[in-house]
This record gives sequence, C-alpha cells and structure tokens, in this order.
Amino acid sequence: MKPRLPALLVAAVVATAASAWPSQAATDNNAQVRNDYLLSCGGCHLLEGQGSRAVPSLADTGRIFALPGGREYLGRVPGAAHSPLDDQRLATVLNWVLSRFGHTTADPPYTASEIGRLRAQPYLDPLAARHRLLADHDGNDGNNGNDGNDGNDR
Amino acid sequence: MSRLDRWMENSSRALARRSGRRGFLARLGHLIAGGTVAGVAALPLLPVARGQASDESPGSRAAAPPEDIEGPQGDPNHCDYWRNCAIDGFLCGCCGGSATSCPPGTEMSPVTWIGTCRNPLDKKDYLIWYNDCCGKNPCGRCFCNRNEGERPVYHPYRNNDINWCAGAQSQVYTCSTAMIIGLAVEGQPEK
Repeated sequence: MKPRLPALLVAAVVATAASAWPSQAATDNNAQVRNDYLLSCGGCHLLEGQGSRAVPSLADTGRIFALPGGREYLGRVPGAAHSPLDDQRLATVLNWVLSRFGHTTADPPYTASEIGRLRAQPYLDPLAARHRLLADHDGNDGNNGNDGNDGNDR
Repeated sequence: MSRLDRWMENSSRALARRSGRRGFLARLGHLIAGGTVAGVAALPLLPVARGQASDESPGSRAAAPPEDIEGPQGDPNHCDYWRNCAIDGFLCGCCGGSATSCPPGTEMSPVTWIGTCRNPLDKKDYLIWYNDCCGKNPCGRCFCNRNEGERPVYHPYRNNDINWCAGAQSQVYTCSTAMIIGLAVEGQPEK
C-alpha cells in the first residue's frame, strides 16, 4: 500500500494540471479581449464576472440580453457607456462577456457602429432603467435579482 | 511481549525519523509546485489563482514572473517593489499580511481597480489587482504613494484615491495588496 499514495497524488496533480491549463492557441485567441475586460471591467465585476454586493454579476447578461430592450440596455449602462475602450474593442468585449459569463451568443454580434450609437445615450439613472427593464418582463418591481445594490445608497 | 513492544517502538521511531509531518508536507508542497510549468501551482488554492487558471486568461503559463530581483524592486515590503507601481496606501506586507494577502481580522475588498506594472527583469507587463484590506484602523506602516498610470477620481477604473473598501463589510481602510492576475497582452493605455 505504501507506494500507492504518491502514485495517486501524482495522478491527481497531473490530472488537475491538465484540466487547469488550456492549449496555448486558445489562450492566445482570447488574450486580448480578456486583457481589455480585466483592465476596464474586471476590477468591479471581478475576474470571472461574478460581481459582488456592490456590483451586478455578469451571469445575468444572458437573461437581460434576451429581454426586449436588453440589447440596448447593455450598451448604455455606465460600465459600457463610460468605458475607456474604443467602440470596436468594447463591442468585442461585450460579445465575449455574453458568451463567457452570460452563456448566450449576441446574434447578431455587437458592432462598433452600434456601440457608438448606444454609448452616446448613457443612462442617467441606470438602476431605475434596470428595474424598468425587468419589471416590464416580470410584471413586478423588477428588483428580483442581484442588481449589485445592497440598498444603502438609495 | 516485551520483544513485540521493542519492535513496535523501534519501528515507530524509525518511521518518525524518516517521515516527519513537516517533511511530508514539504514533499507534498514540492510535488504540487514542482509538477507544473514555470513553478506555478497546479492546484489553485485561492480565488485569484482559480481566476488565473481559467481557460482564457491572458496570464497562464507565462503568468509567473521572475522574482529574483535584487534591491528594493525585489522586496515586496518596499515602495520601489515593481508591483507597487500605482499603489497608494500602506503595504500589507508590513501590516501582518503580505503583498497578496490581508492581515488577520481584515477583509479583502471585493472591488478595486486593475492596472499593469512592468517587471524589470523580463521587461513584460503584468496585470496587477490592487485590492485593499478593510476592517481595522489604517496600518500606518510602509506608506507608499506611487501613481504610475493612475488617473483622477472621475476615471474610477484607474484611480487609487477611492476608498475601495466601499464594497466590503467594513469601510475602514487598513492596507493595500498588489496581486498579479496574469501577463498583460499590452500595458494599460495610460502608460
């Protein structure tokens, strides 16, 4: 039995390493967009888009995108409209966020011209806009998910 | 019976000499750390490490920068340490924590800003996550105020004057960390 423990450990470590590290090609293909995401969005939405008490989770983007007006909403929220990214890079990041965190596909994908048009109309009250969007769909006050607001700043 | 006792005692002592608990942990640590490329742990133990290990991270195999830098640029508790290039606050390494962990009794702020710093050894830019630690009085040791690539407060995604503890349970700022979350494809545009 003695030699079995190291062998199992080695197997576990190798298996974990293999699953943790992707192919170099996949890393290269997505490195630029993830770099842009981390530098412009990741500080608040966090590394995997999970959000926190203070900031919405990007896992909700798939659901929101599917709602009437949701596509436009995602291009007008402060994080998008005031992003330091140019229109093309922001469009790429939004498409990536929807795929990566929202588990949906922007069809058709956001384009630079669409993003330029949307971010020119930023929301003055994004939280109210979110509640309206969800209320129109859910038939309630729309405050039924993690909106990233703990209620202290209302 | 006494012979059996002696045999048991001798066996136990021999086993203890050969395989102390610390020795086992050390070998396990070496196995985990040494079984991977570039010395990066294969078993990601921290949330940040898990994020780094995700399949599309810009930093992955190349994310472990060379750290054998001599002088202040290689000392995490010195303001000149290369990762501290845009920090503004007390270095957690002087406050009971480290450059990557908070002191006991404090909480890492869930929101912050991310910038890049250049490692002087390999001349590459790394994504740095400037998380504040929150919940105890300001540490007061190793104050460091470097603002490379920092921007005014109306650019919150590049500002170090904001009390990022606003996202934590306690809004009392204690100290700041500077964690690598990956190799940057390019430096932040403000540099």
